[in-house]
Amino acid sequence: MTHRLRKVIAVSAACALSLGILAGCAPKTADTGAGTTSAVVKGGTLSYYVGEPAYIDPYNTQESEGTQVEQSVFDSLTAFDPLDATKVIPAAALSWSANADASVWTFKLDPKATFSDGNPVKAQDFIYAWNRIANPNTLNTSTKKVEGSSIGYHLAPVKGYDEMQAEGSKVAEMSGLKAVDDYTLEVTLKAPFGDFEYVVGHPALAPVEKALVDGGVKYKDAAGTEQTAAFGDMPVGNGPFKLSEPWKRGQYIKVVRNDAYAGVKPNIDGIDFRIFQDPNTAYTEFEAGTLDFTQIGEGKIKDAIAKYGEAADGYTANPGKQALLGSENSIYYLDVNNKDFPALKEYKFRKAISLAINRQAICDVVFQGTRVPADNIVPPGIAGYAPGLWPDSKYDAAAAVQAMTDAGFPGGKGAPEISLWYNADGGHQKIMELVKADLDKLGLKVKLSPTPDFATYLKQLGAGKVQIGRLGWSADYPIIYNFLYPLFNSKSADNYSKFTDPAVDSAIDAAEKISDSAARIAAFTEVDKTIGAQLPVIPIMFYRHHHVAAARVHDLTYSAMNLADFQKVWLQAAK
Amino acid sequence: MFQYIFRRLVQFVPVFFGVTLLLFFVTTILPGDPVALRAGEKKLPPAVYQAMRHQYGLDKPWYQQYADYLGALAKGDLGTSIASGRQVTDIFKDVYPYTVKLAGGAIALEIIFGIAVGIVAAVKRYSIWDTLATLTTSILVALPVFWLGIMLQYFFGIWLKNATGGAFYLPISGVSGVFPTWVYLILPSITLASVSTAYAARVMRSQLLEVSGQDYVRTAHAKGLSVSRVLWSHEMKNALIPVVTFIGLDLGAMLSGAILTESVFNIPGLGWTIYHSIRAYDYPVLFGCVTLMLFAVLFINLIVDVSYAFLDPRIRYGSAAGE
Amino acid sequence: MSNEMDALQGAANHGVKDPRTGLPATPPSGPDVKGEASGRNRTLMGDAWYRLSRNKLALVALAWLMIITLAAISASLWVPRIYGDPVAIDTATVATGALQSPSVAHPMGTDDLGRDMLSRIVYGARASLSVGFMAVFVSVVIGLILGSLSGFYTGWPDALIMRIADVFLAFPYLLFALLLLSVVPKEYRGGIMPVVLTIGVLGWPSIARVFRSSILSVKENDYVDAARALGASDLRLMTRHIMPNAVAPIVVYSTMSIGSAILTEAALSYLGLGILPPTPSWGRMISDGQQYLTSNPGLVLWPGLAILTTVLAFTLLGDGVRDALDVKMKD
Repeated sequence: MTHRLRKVIAVSAACALSLGILAGCAPKTADTGAGTTSAVVKGGTLSYYVGEPAYIDPYNTQESEGTQVEQSVFDSLTAFDPLDATKVIPAAALSWSANADASVWTFKLDPKATFSDGNPVKAQDFIYAWNRIANPNTLNTSTKKVEGSSIGYHLAPVKGYDEMQAEGSKVAEMSGLKAVDDYTLEVTLKAPFGDFEYVVGHPALAPVEKALVDGGVKYKDAAGTEQTAAFGDMPVGNGPFKLSEPWKRGQYIKVVRNDAYAGVKPNIDGIDFRIFQDPNTAYTEFEAGTLDFTQIGEGKIKDAIAKYGEAADGYTANPGKQALLGSENSIYYLDVNNKDFPALKEYKFRKAISLAINRQAICDVVFQGTRVPADNIVPPGIAGYAPGLWPDSKYDAAAAVQAMTDAGFPGGKGAPEISLWYNADGGHQKIMELVKADLDKLGLKVKLSPTPDFATYLKQLGAGKVQIGRLGWSADYPIIYNFLYPLFNSKSADNYSKFTDPAVDSAIDAAEKISDSAARIAAFTEVDKTIGAQLPVIPIMFYRHHHVAAARVHDLTYSAMNLADFQKVWLQAAK
Repeated sequence: MFQYIFRRLVQFVPVFFGVTLLLFFVTTILPGDPVALRAGEKKLPPAVYQAMRHQYGLDKPWYQQYADYLGALAKGDLGTSIASGRQVTDIFKDVYPYTVKLAGGAIALEIIFGIAVGIVAAVKRYSIWDTLATLTTSILVALPVFWLGIMLQYFFGIWLKNATGGAFYLPISGVSGVFPTWVYLILPSITLASVSTAYAARVMRSQLLEVSGQDYVRTAHAKGLSVSRVLWSHEMKNALIPVVTFIGLDLGAMLSGAILTESVFNIPGLGWTIYHSIRAYDYPVLFGCVTLMLFAVLFINLIVDVSYAFLDPRIRYGSAAGE
Repeated sequence: MSNEMDALQGAANHGVKDPRTGLPATPPSGPDVKGEASGRNRTLMGDAWYRLSRNKLALVALAWLMIITLAAISASLWVPRIYGDPVAIDTATVATGALQSPSVAHPMGTDDLGRDMLSRIVYGARASLSVGFMAVFVSVVIGLILGSLSGFYTGWPDALIMRIADVFLAFPYLLFALLLLSVVPKEYRGGIMPVVLTIGVLGWPSIARVFRSSILSVKENDYVDAARALGASDLRLMTRHIMPNAVAPIVVYSTMSIGSAILTEAALSYLGLGILPPTPSWGRMISDGQQYLTSNPGLVLWPGLAILTTVLAFTLLGDGVRDALDVKMKD
């Protein structure tokens, strides 16, 4: 070796060695919330992407956009633990209890809690708010027109709800709601319901002040003049933040820290909910550095993971581990009409179809791995989920061919033509094309049948016209009941598959009566297994987060219920 | 002249009724249900559903709805959006500035480049400039506008950004963010203007050629006037008339909402709003915006017609009649 | 679309008169055929062909169109065998086969579901060309009927038809098309016929007006009166005297219109309301490929070029045809 070369090697070795030492010495930051070694810094405003909400008034918050904003301003009786689906944590209610068969629930409120305008939060405020949701003749304060809530179903378990919904009913209050005293709320249910503590954790079931709903909300505008805004444009709540100005539609919703909040005060000064029509535009801004939290743009997931790092638990963002890919409590599945069509009625035929679908290919090609093949109708984040309960929800091409023969249509011969339905306005085209390709391999004759819009599609589903059609389901509360009852109970309006099994109906009812949550969950797991053995619908994939936070964001947990925990978040730019 | 304007206004009336009636009739055949669509995934309780339908007059027969719409229009009320609950006039106020700015930029480009290229191509006939102009305009005319937009996005937003290491690029989506608003409208304006500019150039060129072959022009040349004097004093005034018509019609079309350009560049303007109101069956927004558009187009056509008077004295003295 | 012709028609409607003849201004002539002697001993068509054959650009355009048309018609014979099926997906290989760069096996690469782009482009030509020809055919048929009624029977039929034409033209074009496509019943959606009918129905006013102007300008000639005096029926007048003169502008306009129709179909498919998958369509391919712009711009590039070259060919051909027939028009 020449003298020169030896020198080069020596220098390179030294560099490599020192880099290795430095790397080993770098402080390890923990992945989840409280583990960071740096101290929490207070202050700053979080800039957060939302699509345009439909409503932020709790009486009608339904989609994720509105709910995210609304839950920063309001506290419901309880809250869902952001990282553990089996836990319900106290929020506006300090404690609660149920009677022996879980049909009467009593919630004790915090006497020190107030709305952001200083007025105390009383049981009557909850009663007024809940009646407002259930009443079909409630006024939309922004448009001043009658517009009943479409989320009244949350309160369906409450006694008196059905009487309010009857055609031409003049009843304006649910009989099951009672204020024992100013700070004690007693709710009587139609039937025993062990999971009710989860139901009241939904952000929409928050208290509101009647005076503000009726009279509007007074505030000072930029010039200092006093103005009045409709409650729906500037709701006033009991949560850790409050609106600093009315909702500027199409642009932003600004909230600031509520210093009168009785609970854990947030670290940040406020949140700018920036409204974008298109998440891809939001992602462009994120990359430019002007947005702190957004969805990752279409087709850019792998880039984002490479650039920003991935959160270990999938839900909590910290610098260097900013991309969130945890599973959400949502399932994408193919609904099958179990009643009106030949062949589809038979378990064996459905089994063949289910085994034929290459779910991983769909996840890879259409979603770049941000979805996961589903092996159950219940997502993994929900307590009660267990693998293997739906044995046919997987890909096995050889077994599919065999199952088709078992079903009486060897090689697909003699099988009826299958039409695959979907709504054309939802980006499902590619998925259905892949499903069709798989079913073609079985020898089936398959036709794609798009419906122009989602509402018409639902109508067709309800009318029983759809043979096999895609559907999605998102949990309202992180409980297994919220998947099994609506989709499989014979009386449920969301049971499009027309699956009817009296044994399952009564098993669900029985399970709901169990007050001990561990036992209740175990009972539901059994029900899940019973349903899975019959395969009334075909689960395809679980949803996952595809979100990312900026490098200055610490400890932002974005839960499986698509709710961000704004109280723990803190901001500090990297030095 | 006033008689002329008045006559044009009178002609507008049946067109207005024809268009709105046709629109109303078409929407009654539309299969979608705006109230159900608004509810999204959750089903509306029947009582709520009925109440909302009644609210928006959807349970009335179509001719009744049309009468209601006309009555409300007379009072200046364009109705309420079914999808968002906002007043149509508020929605319009929010979205039309973007479309106006976009159209303004595009028309400016069209006027400058269209006329200039057309003149150059006509004056330098048979030269390399003429061939180049003809080829370019032919290509632009054959381009799908939305494809041009996407290609511009690629070159100026993505390729340029990579080539200069992120230092220099144009924004390709939306209307707000790092740059001031007008920067976001650069690429969309160019896209919107492109095809129209090409047409305008072709019309300018062919009109000039037509006019240049006429006797009075040959006389002017024979008299010894310079080429540019002949061009500007004699030829342009006559040649401009169809060009002005064309540009005027174009402005009307652009103000009607450049659906494709706004879609590609995510500009929340009038075209985008109308397109989404069709998809969501949001009839009040659809009717309201179309009504306002018709008035805007009428206004522009009037201006175009008035400008004739300056370009063609024969019209000023009433010898030519509109149809 | 076809704004040029409409603008000039608009100019004519605004009462601009040709200073020489005192008649309404006619659409402009082409670039360089003035002063050329017309072969008076040749027929109309013969003369036109002669002129056309000397226009190199138009010949190239014609050749290109013939290539595309032949390729499209014969596609099922050779495309799937060499390059692969434009529609079928194999889910076992789709993840690795998708979004490939151009190679010998796939000269234009593959799309996001692993299908060969060249194959899809050729099949897309079928949709576009069919829509183009059929839509213009529909427009011409309706336009001829209504235009001749309007031109012949002046009075209330003329006024009514022209007013209806005004209404159609006042309606923003794309908006009208979107509305019409939205009312198509579910069973027929995504096919070629709804798009053909939509574009066809939206195109009749221009053709009708062109035809009507021809009729009106010919009617004023003395020989028509003479023919009538000799007892010629309306139909005979139409076929022997008016049609030959009207043919030229309509042929030119139709050729250009095919190009416009293809552009419109691409726009409607891009917006998701025109031709739907699984039928390959160039416009739809562009909207599907948009999200991969950063990584695989070819998905957008190739369909766009396909549209561009096809429409350009029709435009150049139309220009050439107009020049070829021009001397006759001005006679």
